[in-house]
Amino acid sequence: MIKKLRQNPDLLFGTIFTGILLLIVLVGLIHTPYPTTQMSAADKFAAPGLMHIFGCDQYGRDIFSRVMEGLGSTFVIALFTVLIGSVSGVLIGSLCGYFGGLLDDALMRVNDVLFSFPSILLALVIVSLLGTGSVNVTLALGIAFVPSFARIVRSEVKKQAALDYVQSARLMGASHFRIIFVHILPNILPVLASSVMIGFNNAVLAEAGLSYLGIGVQPPRASLGRMLSEAQSFLFTAPWYAIFPGLTIVLLVLGFALLAEGMTEGGRDAS
Amino acid sequence: MLLTLLAVGFVVFAAFEIIPGDAAVSRLGSNATAESVAALRTEMGLDRPFFVRFFSWLFGCLHGDFGTSYSYGMPVAGMIVEKLPITLCMSLISMLLCIGVSVPVALFAAKHAGSRTDRGLRSANQLVMAVPAFFLGILLSWLFGMVLKWFTPGGYVSYKKDFGAFLAYLILPSVAVALPKCAMSVKLLRSAILAEADKEYVRTAYSRGLSTMEVLYRHVLKNAMIPLVTFWGMAVADMIAGSIVVEQVFNIPGLGRILLNSIAKRDYPVVEAVILLIALVVLLMNLLVDTLYRLLDPRLKEEQG
Repeated sequence: MIKKLRQNPDLLFGTIFTGILLLIVLVGLIHTPYPTTQMSAADKFAAPGLMHIFGCDQYGRDIFSRVMEGLGSTFVIALFTVLIGSVSGVLIGSLCGYFGGLLDDALMRVNDVLFSFPSILLALVIVSLLGTGSVNVTLALGIAFVPSFARIVRSEVKKQAALDYVQSARLMGASHFRIIFVHILPNILPVLASSVMIGFNNAVLAEAGLSYLGIGVQPPRASLGRMLSEAQSFLFTAPWYAIFPGLTIVLLVLGFALLAEGMTEGGRDAS
Repeated sequence: MLLTLLAVGFVVFAAFEIIPGDAAVSRLGSNATAESVAALRTEMGLDRPFFVRFFSWLFGCLHGDFGTSYSYGMPVAGMIVEKLPITLCMSLISMLLCIGVSVPVALFAAKHAGSRTDRGLRSANQLVMAVPAFFLGILLSWLFGMVLKWFTPGGYVSYKKDFGAFLAYLILPSVAVALPKCAMSVKLLRSAILAEADKEYVRTAYSRGLSTMEVLYRHVLKNAMIPLVTFWGMAVADMIAGSIVVEQVFNIPGLGRILLNSIAKRDYPVVEAVILLIALVVLLMNLLVDTLYRLLDPRLKEEQG
């Protein structure tokens, strides 16, 4: 295992970055150095130091504690986004790919348009229909991510459905339902796994963008995107206020991208 | 394509129809009397049946009339036409930057594949891809605006007043939008070039005595561009979306500002028009990509004919 990590720096750094951030999220669930909404006039714009490693914001709130909380929300929202997107995408994609026909044509035509529509814009529109808030943003992002999953799954299922083993399973009397979920799906799992990881990153970026625009997690709860948009007014006095939440997003996305890259590479070596 | 646009229009119109909340009520405030709400509904044409309104809206759109903004009372078309050049200019500059930078960088990386520079570039690429465009925008405006003082953050100049200054102000936001996409296309193009370089025609070209440069530019690059065209076609839509967010960072009153304001104010005619417009751009891009495909890959032309 360790040897494998050594040969694969992507996997190594990906694991380290993701591990550290995951640890921060988990610790943040039970304990933050300071209460996330505790204001203190004396600490207003305190520079990063021993007391506050990331410094303080305009209300004297500890930025590190707020980053911990914000990272947690980002994590949860991205996770559920990918979950909603992939589960619905797999359902729609596998049905369309397996059965084909008129429904497939119609759904895929709509899907193509939605797919080429940027997901953050799609989510923005859905949020405008549903209203703001973290649950609605998760729902909106989840829906916005369905087309890309449906597209990938459909083309994979279509490829698999033409293979002989599907024919034999059919001859043995397996139902369509069984063939799709028991025989075909396990075979497309590797493709699905890598698109889930890419999807997670896109979800993180989209969530950060939406909360930067003020849609999404609502104050007083901390969110990385909103911290960035607030920090922008104080760039001159407190650049660290913008830099730390921003770097956290970068690290999260980078770690996951490296992890995904390393895993595909590892898989390629193994086979 | 027209059919798809029609479908998009219908879905958008219907979606804003089924959500709770009455535009007339939200315009008058919650303590308006029932009579005044009813009067306004008649004035806004909200009391007509759904399909009648849909078709009248549709016909309006075909004539370039997208209705009247609820909150500003101005024709939507005018509002958008005024802001469109800003966002389009930004997306165009980003696109040019993206293509202009990524092609040479990818060629360089592919030529030196496996070397230390190549690996360094790859790491830098991974890093850039992880940076959200709006954070990049904040960093750029901090670096150039406050540390180096090369430009004034928030000092946007209207394109009507001074086109040169307008373009100059757009450069940083465009870089912020373009860089992550640029990193992605370097990655794609590099691997596409390397995949092509393994093929037999490359060896044939070398054996005919062509130099590396000639092989690379005349043969490999052309074939390696094919997957990139798809990517760039899709990137255009992403860049428009990216501009909408980055516009907020740099305080540019473009399409993004209108879209966000009207979403906040539930000004649906404006939201519908902006979405329809972006859908149109997306579809036009798809068409362009298809056409470019035929030009780059003659095999497709034969299949069609």
